[in-house]
Amino acid sequence: MAGPANPEAMAPPKPGPTRTAPPQQPSTWWSAPRIRNYLLFDATGIVYLLAGLVALRLVWALGKGPEAWQAALASLSNPLYLGFHVLALVSVVFVAVRFFSLFPKAQPKAIGPLKPPPAQVILIGLYAAWIGVTAILCAIIGGVF
Amino acid sequence: MKKLLLTLEPIIWLMFGQGILLGTILLTPWLIMVGIAAPLGMVDLSYERAHALASASFIGIPIGPLVVAAIIALPLWKGAHHIRSLLLDFGGEARDGAVGGLLYLIASIGTIGAILAVVRL
Repeated sequence: MAGPANPEAMAPPKPGPTRTAPPQQPSTWWSAPRIRNYLLFDATGIVYLLAGLVALRLVWALGKGPEAWQAALASLSNPLYLGFHVLALVSVVFVAVRFFSLFPKAQPKAIGPLKPPPAQVILIGLYAAWIGVTAILCAIIGGVF
Repeated sequence: MKKLLLTLEPIIWLMFGQGILLGTILLTPWLIMVGIAAPLGMVDLSYERAHALASASFIGIPIGPLVVAAIIALPLWKGAHHIRSLLLDFGGEARDGAVGGLLYLIASIGTIGAILAVVRL
């Protein structure tokens, strides 16, 4: 009757370092869907930084007086600015959807005796705040109120 | 510089976190109305109207200046931190201290600029 298999049957006669290939990052690491979305999320930072600087330029012009304000506002009708603001809006929506989906997962299990609300409640709250603030500010700037 | 950034990390993360949450919420209507609708002539944003909105207060709280300052400053911090993170992903570890320092300096100067911009309205 055959005995149990010897797990060391094919081991080298003398123990030594196992030869393995050095770890290498694949050259297409950035194109994997999960990584690509993560990098796009980070890349929206460029758009946010520029959007903040454009807003600063506009509000600074508002403080300088009517002529500076009208000139700054008129410059925004340049197709480059319009295209940038459309891109920025797409970026903001992308960030909101991705960040809101991550937000419930990032909550601590408990803060003292309190536990965070269920993920669905957090999500509904975030979307309600986003859509609500957007609607109210659009109405105020649009002259509805 | 790297040690300084680590020391300032709580402040950086506070501003970054607010930038990604509040910045995103506030930037949406700003982009729709001021960035797109107003230049296309769909919204009247005359100087008088824009000035009144940006300097508005409610029960003594300068709500207009606070919102406008947040719209400027918070996206700068979200942007600075995510650009730093993006550069790290593409092998920028060696220059992270200098690059991170420069990006947060831009965000800091922009934040001071935002406060000055709303104070002089």
